[in-house]
Amino acid sequence: MKHATAANECDIKVFCCPKSGNSLEEYEDAWAHRQTRTPVGIRVAVADGATESSFAKLWAVLLAESYMRSEVAGAEFFARLKPARRLWRRRLAGRPLPWFASEKAEQGAFAAFLGVQIDAHKNRWTALAVGDCCLMQVDDVGKGMRVVEAFPLQKSSQFTMSPYLIGSRSDGESLNERIQISKGSLRDGDMLLLATDAVAAWLLRQHEEGRPLWKWLYRKLGTPESFAAMVAYGRKNGLRNDDFTLVRVIHHGSPVEAKER
Amino acid sequence: MMQKARETMAYQAEISRKNPGCFLFLVDQSESMEDPFGGGEAGRKKAEELATILNKLIHNLSIRCAKSDSIYDYFHVGVLGYSEESCKPALGGELSGRSLVPISELANKPLRIEERTKKSDDGAGGVVDQTVKFPVWFDPYWKGGTPMCAALKEATRIVETWCEEHPTGFPPIVINITDGEATDGDLIAEARKLTAVSGDDGSVLLFNIHLSSTAGPSIELPGNANKLPDQHAKQLFEASSTLTPFMVARATELGMPAAEDSRGFIFNAQPLHVIHFLDIGTRPANVRLR
Repeated sequence: MKHATAANECDIKVFCCPKSGNSLEEYEDAWAHRQTRTPVGIRVAVADGATESSFAKLWAVLLAESYMRSEVAGAEFFARLKPARRLWRRRLAGRPLPWFASEKAEQGAFAAFLGVQIDAHKNRWTALAVGDCCLMQVDDVGKGMRVVEAFPLQKSSQFTMSPYLIGSRSDGESLNERIQISKGSLRDGDMLLLATDAVAAWLLRQHEEGRPLWKWLYRKLGTPESFAAMVAYGRKNGLRNDDFTLVRVIHHGSPVEAKER
Repeated sequence: MMQKARETMAYQAEISRKNPGCFLFLVDQSESMEDPFGGGEAGRKKAEELATILNKLIHNLSIRCAKSDSIYDYFHVGVLGYSEESCKPALGGELSGRSLVPISELANKPLRIEERTKKSDDGAGGVVDQTVKFPVWFDPYWKGGTPMCAALKEATRIVETWCEEHPTGFPPIVINITDGEATDGDLIAEARKLTAVSGDDGSVLLFNIHLSSTAGPSIELPGNANKLPDQHAKQLFEASSTLTPFMVARATELGMPAAEDSRGFIFNAQPLHVIHFLDIGTRPANVRLR
């Protein structure tokens, strides 16, 4: 059947761990995904709470979960963050904080965000991003596999330590200029990777230097042991010490007659 | 080639609670600090400007390290004051006599917390008065001569111990805030000894903040001494370390005029961005720095 349910058409796995030296409680990335049988399809999000902001984990979780529950895939998603912002403020309200914690909380929490909606029936995806969480689409054509799309950053050199991020207080007009949207199509066997900045930058650099890990990520990454081995290898080979979140989506769709690439 | 390789690898150590950074402030408390400050409002003393700078730096560093309910010890901070014939730890209250203090302890033990009023956006296009907490760690003080060389010697002793205890950490940054004239010896020679102290990740860095009575435009992170107004400024420039590539990039990002040969020298300006020259993780570009 061409129109098999979405739930059967994508294999989604999440791999994550905190920065080396930090406890699991200090992990400030977040991820969420949902597969539906409605036109909303499959929704996957990752968010990366900024180290230099307070209560960033809570904000990253609220962002990822808001996207997962939402039904919009475009920029209007960010106009609907009022409930998430209210919840963030409510969780802090009345909490006795020392002067420095109170002043830092006044600045709000900040996070990078990437949401991807996959319409498995039409074999299409729509991605929405602010900041430096990245989507990489790799196809299963040929031995080496091929990067079809990297979004919103394309090269490892584009990552910085000070990206524009989404704030838990109002962003005002400035956010509109920072929202990025991309769309693409999927073929059977395509892999979508949603990654927070450190792992995205590292994967792109490995690719740029002729040592791509795509095939390994596709075929070998699966068990906790293989994930641990990858992190250990990465940390010895240029992976910046940071929280690590990688969501792998493998699409098992029907053949698409008219390709847009 | 080997030298080049070493230079390339320096100043890369990650700053973490396990491997914290170190800021050591040397503050001039000589009697000349009673004189008017040339870079600010009329009647303001250099000692008052110095106290404002130091309180703001410690305040901002505390905010930078604040994390949810608590504060992470990414940095240890010391303040040495020099006046009359000697140099001694200048933090007061419960921190009296301590030369280096973890930032969490510093944040929790100011001399006092004042309440001040500031204007802030009311979110509806208007302005409201808001009461903010203003911690004070350091009050203006001035007396006697300027034993800056003694201060650099004491700083050398402190950073040697730090580097022995933290051999793989980011090298300490010593920030000297002065009106410029040492009365006890050869400033450059002492500065060289201080910046010769090193760990695996590079040598100690010395930055100088010159608060002069000379009026004129402020100068930040110059690459040469050509535009500096007097001999004291030139000497302090000479004693200052060159910025690391990361610092140049960060300073540029923060709107400061930094170049590859920039030195950690600031003339008649508040060096508030200096604490952002060390990286502790992702910093949102849309947070206004204080």
